[in-house]
Amino acid sequence: MATGLYAAPAPVVRRVRGYFAPVNRAGGVPVIFDAAAEGAFAVDAPPAPWVSLGWIEGFQRTAGSRVAPVLTGVPAGVQEQVRETVEAQVSLRFGSWTKLTMALATGSQHMNLLVPGAGAGLSADGGTAAAASVIQSGSTSTLVLLSSADAAKFTAGQMVAVDVDYAGQLGFVGSPVSAAYVRAGITDVDYVRRVTFNVSRVASVATTGLPGLTLAEPLPGGAPVTGMKVQPLAGFVDREGGSFFQEWSGLFLLEGGQGERAFFHYPRLQAVGSAEEMRSALDEKRGGKLERVMLAGAFRALPVTDGLDGERVVCYRSYLPGPGSLI
Amino acid sequence: MGMQNAKDSFYVALRGRLAAINPERTVLLRAVVRPGIVVEEAEAPFAQLPPDVFVLRWLGLGYDPDLPSALVAEEAEIVYSTLGTQSFGGLDRGRALTEMDRELVAMLTPLQTPKLNYTATPAAAMLTNVFWDEPVFGSVVALRDRLTRSVRVVVYSYEESGE
Repeated sequence: MATGLYAAPAPVVRRVRGYFAPVNRAGGVPVIFDAAAEGAFAVDAPPAPWVSLGWIEGFQRTAGSRVAPVLTGVPAGVQEQVRETVEAQVSLRFGSWTKLTMALATGSQHMNLLVPGAGAGLSADGGTAAAASVIQSGSTSTLVLLSSADAAKFTAGQMVAVDVDYAGQLGFVGSPVSAAYVRAGITDVDYVRRVTFNVSRVASVATTGLPGLTLAEPLPGGAPVTGMKVQPLAGFVDREGGSFFQEWSGLFLLEGGQGERAFFHYPRLQAVGSAEEMRSALDEKRGGKLERVMLAGAFRALPVTDGLDGERVVCYRSYLPGPGSLI
Repeated sequence: MGMQNAKDSFYVALRGRLAAINPERTVLLRAVVRPGIVVEEAEAPFAQLPPDVFVLRWLGLGYDPDLPSALVAEEAEIVYSTLGTQSFGGLDRGRALTEMDRELVAMLTPLQTPKLNYTATPAAAMLTNVFWDEPVFGSVVALRDRLTRSVRVVVYSYEESGE
């Protein structure tokens, strides 16, 4: 064996890191991952537009592609093989309940529970919301400027949704992710803010000087654009049923103890099941009734056409060997 | 079977991390002040474990040769005890032990370190990393005013050419 090199056994990994990025639904463009150019990223700081979902559990890949023989001759023998179907599925458990993990785990629209206005009637996905506040120009992804009167309506610690009014538009709506598909007009002017992924938590409120909301984390959609408004929200809601499918690009990283990295890149993933939760005992050895409730996600990989050679594929598996290992 | 470089690398990594986490935790050995973690088998036998110092012991050994590079696993036990501080009359020994628990978790993270050959000067980098599993914390043992805890970690390394 050459000096300075060693024969590397199979990677020993602890857990899998998951990253998701929104597919451009209007243009039908998934997010590309180039392991050669981007594969050395720090695990907590993936390249844009990938969003880290932290450590995931129970990561399971299932190849569903079927290869069929072409028989010929007497007696029949296999002349060659063909791929009948190209399919793959991924299942996993998310370690936390956030806007993004809930949206990924649910099979359909994931909505924000807007704080209801005074006298609003009850509704399973949130009643008529309190009026939205107009965002002033000069706002950034972490500073939402408002009039003094509007800023006084908010308190530190509140969750907020930022997006445009629904004004009769059809097709995909929501910033920066296509959060729903509107087929026919809706009467709710707050509908886009009900489904938007542009949410954050308020860190502090200023009613004088530069009145507005300082956010604890940047808005996923970046600086608000003209026409966007902000509303407080109480939580999230999703439904079993509906006709809309979320679509995301998925990237999963297995990092070995010797610095080697295996990536599984799925350009197009859609939920294959409905929202489910899995429970695991907090302390199996000692017993007890405490359980961790985790969001379960199962996804079907949809095909893309590889621009390199025109082949239809559902997944890319990249491997970056560790330093000094023989290949 | 080569494990000594892995053992040395594991100890030196923890020692360096402890010095960064808590420079005040030191031990005086043979007239030299060092970070407060020692390898029991490399020191004169202790009549009693020194308090407020991490003591590293090597226990069980495992070996898997049926791999492209043989995998060696050795179980490390890190034992530490405290009597608290004199100024508080030892009433802070629980807090002192909690602080040592916290420092140990920080020392063990990240759960890997490059393997070096410390028989050379300066230490020579080798090809692989030493890596280990999550620590398993034992119960606190209280004996009069001394609180003691034992933590076990399995340390893995690949045997390299020349080891």
